[in-house]
Amino acid sequence: MPDTRIDLPQGTLDLLILRTLALGPLHGWAISERIHQVSSKVLQVQQGSLYPALHRLERRGWIKAHWGASENNRRAKYYELTKTGRKQLEAEESEWKKLTSAVAQILETA
Amino acid sequence: MLNDIIIRLRSLFRRNAVENELHDELRFHFDQQVEKYVRSGLAREEATRRARLEFGGLDQVKEECRDARGVQFLETLIQDIRYGFRMLRKSPGFTTVAVLTLALGIGANTAIFSMVNALVLRRLPVYAPDQIASLLRHDKASGSDGMFSYPDFEDIRNQAGSAFADLATVQPFQMDGFRMGTQSDPLPMWANYVTTNFFQVMRITPALGTFFQPSAGQSAGQAQLASADPVIVLGYSFWKNHLGGDPNIVGKGVSVNGHPVTVLGVAPKGFCGLFSVIDTQGYLPMGMAAVTADSKPDFIADRHFASMVIVGRLSNGISLGQAAPLLNVIARRLSDQHPDNKWDRLQAFPIGPLGPATDWSGQETFDAMAAFFLVLVGLILVLAWVNVANLLLVRATAREREMAVRSAMGANRSRIVRQVLTESLLLALFGCAAGLFLGAALSRSIGWVNLSSALPLNFDFSFDWRVFAYGLGAALLTGLLAGMTPAFRAARGNMNDLLRDSPRTSTSRRQPARSILVVAQLSGSLMLLIVAGLFVRSLRAVEHADLGFDPNHVVNLSVAPTEAGYNEPQARQFLQALLQRVRALPGVESASLAATVPMGYYSNGYDGLQIVGYEPAPGQDLPHAGFNAVSPDYFHTMRIALVRGRVFLDSDNQTSKPVALINEEMAKRYWPHGDALNGHFALPTDRSHPIEVVGVVKNVRAQGLSGPIGPYFYRPFAQAYQVPVTLQLRTSLPAPTAIHDAANVIRSLAPAMPVFDIQTMTQALNTLNGLLIFRLGAVLTASLGALGLVLALVGVYGVVSYAAGQRTHEIGIRMALGAQPRQALKTILGQGFVVTCAGIMIGALLAGAVGHLARDFLSGVSPMDPLTYLGASALLAAVALIACYIPARRAMRVDPMVALRHE
Repeated sequence: MPDTRIDLPQGTLDLLILRTLALGPLHGWAISERIHQVSSKVLQVQQGSLYPALHRLERRGWIKAHWGASENNRRAKYYELTKTGRKQLEAEESEWKKLTSAVAQILETA
Repeated sequence: MLNDIIIRLRSLFRRNAVENELHDELRFHFDQQVEKYVRSGLAREEATRRARLEFGGLDQVKEECRDARGVQFLETLIQDIRYGFRMLRKSPGFTTVAVLTLALGIGANTAIFSMVNALVLRRLPVYAPDQIASLLRHDKASGSDGMFSYPDFEDIRNQAGSAFADLATVQPFQMDGFRMGTQSDPLPMWANYVTTNFFQVMRITPALGTFFQPSAGQSAGQAQLASADPVIVLGYSFWKNHLGGDPNIVGKGVSVNGHPVTVLGVAPKGFCGLFSVIDTQGYLPMGMAAVTADSKPDFIADRHFASMVIVGRLSNGISLGQAAPLLNVIARRLSDQHPDNKWDRLQAFPIGPLGPATDWSGQETFDAMAAFFLVLVGLILVLAWVNVANLLLVRATAREREMAVRSAMGANRSRIVRQVLTESLLLALFGCAAGLFLGAALSRSIGWVNLSSALPLNFDFSFDWRVFAYGLGAALLTGLLAGMTPAFRAARGNMNDLLRDSPRTSTSRRQPARSILVVAQLSGSLMLLIVAGLFVRSLRAVEHADLGFDPNHVVNLSVAPTEAGYNEPQARQFLQALLQRVRALPGVESASLAATVPMGYYSNGYDGLQIVGYEPAPGQDLPHAGFNAVSPDYFHTMRIALVRGRVFLDSDNQTSKPVALINEEMAKRYWPHGDALNGHFALPTDRSHPIEVVGVVKNVRAQGLSGPIGPYFYRPFAQAYQVPVTLQLRTSLPAPTAIHDAANVIRSLAPAMPVFDIQTMTQALNTLNGLLIFRLGAVLTASLGALGLVLALVGVYGVVSYAAGQRTHEIGIRMALGAQPRQALKTILGQGFVVTCAGIMIGALLAGAVGHLARDFLSGVSPMDPLTYLGASALLAAVALIACYIPARRAMRVDPMVALRHE
């Protein structure tokens, strides 16, 4: 497995989790897998940061959890976006876009 | 937010379930990862190994998840509380002293606050009490304030509809005789005559039966006066205490002043009428006042008969301020319509526990007094706080090493601060609980004060949510403030120094903070002592004040002929016979009647007197004076000296010309040229019959023992009949014998006559209008002074003995090197002396400021009275030096060998 770990800037992980969950309920492992694949194997979220982040988002009411059966029929904890979570995602997405385009602009011109 | 709380609480209280879930969740992730590696071709062991490596510390992940769920905060709190309990239990001496100190502070505070609450803050127990207001007027023609006549009420009610939902009027201050069934002696009953809409305005529901119904077939105005039949609504505690809470009382026939009435209902529990400090025992329709009470038959139409209070309920959404312009308009309109009314002010006030405002300044004095006592008792709390802060500081010093060890083990600063604060808040909570018990006991004992009156006074100082909130708030604030200094010291401590040093050397640094606290304590305590001294000296002064009459060897018995069913001619006959019979009793030197008694709860007076030959200066009010109706021998009985003219004679009766005696002040003020004798004046209620002044008597203190004596006049009882009336006897026999003899005479003349306020004239002075208020002030301030002194004593003793203990080693070395024990004593005493002097100086300055606030409550003593200042300072200095001497002597006796062996 190639070591292409990139340190995520503060707060980015939350955005990634929310975005991933926007497609539908997933359990923790599937979230980390999805991020890994969609990022072309550049981003690998460690359990040590994934689960505290999930619990934090749950406490804020942006996602909610329920227990369900996994693909291989095991009990797994599924997370899904709440209404406020969806709003939060929209807000954070536009924030992020503004930030990246600004950073890109500086990198190109300065 | 709610989500947040639910998750925290679930994490806390369903900890096992949550922990299991967390474990399962992480385990699932781990297994998935292993499966993934197996699927990609790794052997199972290798796959497990890699997943485990990647996963890192499982416990650490769990801990971070717990943190993310916000469990940590609550868990720490519980840990802190447990630990705090353990630490407090480990040092029972410290805990006991701290809790007791706080309990004294909180107890004194809640007791005083419960009085303030009952006398100033509490609102009527009715629906939306903030909407209830009473009216007050000022008449610029007569200079009179206050109450209204029934026609006034109707005029105002008809015009106030845009601001008030409804208005009712009440004629208070009536003592009636209540009789039920075969009962022989009528019960005295404090009754109010009210318009029938009174209870609707209050919006309360009866405990039993119904309230008044405006009867059909009458005009709107008449309907407010009487129901079809004579009826009565009873007060709750009257029904409970005097009628045994009879559940079948509704519909029963009773009698009021000899007139049959039917019981209609019982007012709800807790509702004592408009004057919450006096329990209203019965409510009768206004129209019945002409029948059962002494009111004139036509009082309903008499614009001069201003003896009523108007209360109203503001419309929804209207405030007192918004009602003000409308009231002004009404006042102006009524002044235009009725030449007798010259109202320049008509204003609405909220109703406090003392009842509707009857003059413009009454509540203000009371508020000032309440504020003054709250400040004093707040100072007690400050003293208690200083003591606890001191104790905590001492302990913090002793625990510096513990704290250093904890922070070396990884506790962060905020954690240590929280731990120390938790401990001091625990202390505060214990102190609060003990203090509330103490306060409840104290305020109950204040509620039992003998007020020397038959009035059904209702001082309910019981604790309600306000008192609890006050006590708890005060305790928490004290705990927080007391814990603050030691907490931050503990967090600031340099752990390297502390761990390296031996405990003894680390604690022997000088601590100016503690000396400052002691100075604060001494000065606060001195201030309390000085205030107490001023109040005690003021009490002494009024006790020995010249009253203008001689209360010794006089006994009083009040009778109420109306309550026994007597009409005026019958009552006059009875009183005449009574005077004759008691004069013949052994030992009686003189017997007389008086409508009111000095310092009593009833008094008479007139605003708007017309004095022939006297014009008030422009802008000044018309003359006013207090008044009493007395029989001819009154001046002999009370030993009031005649200055000029003559006293009353038996020939000054109903048919002769109206006469009066006036006091020197009235003569001086309204007849400035010395021609009062044979002068004339007229009452505002009867301008057509001027009264002739036939004599001038010495000034007498009739109401209040302090302040200037105002104008006062006396009329013959025969010309100014008024009941109830007090029989006064000057006797050479012991008071109990004289009272017994006189009561027997009354019983033989009129078996059903209610007799009340039976006491000596000296006892009768002990009312809230007389001595009692000064006694209460002296007792309260003296108790606070003593409490403050005890707290200061504990504080000084604690600090000095601690300092001495810390210096045992040093003293030991000095003595080993040849120092005399006396030198050791001097060092420690010297320090105490400096602190005491500083405390006395600051305390005296503080007392100067507070004494100034108290000057209105003092009589015959200056707020800067040097004797009080010196005495209090000497007392405090003596106590402080004793508190220093005991530990100093202990230090002096130290055996050098023992002190050094500690090394």
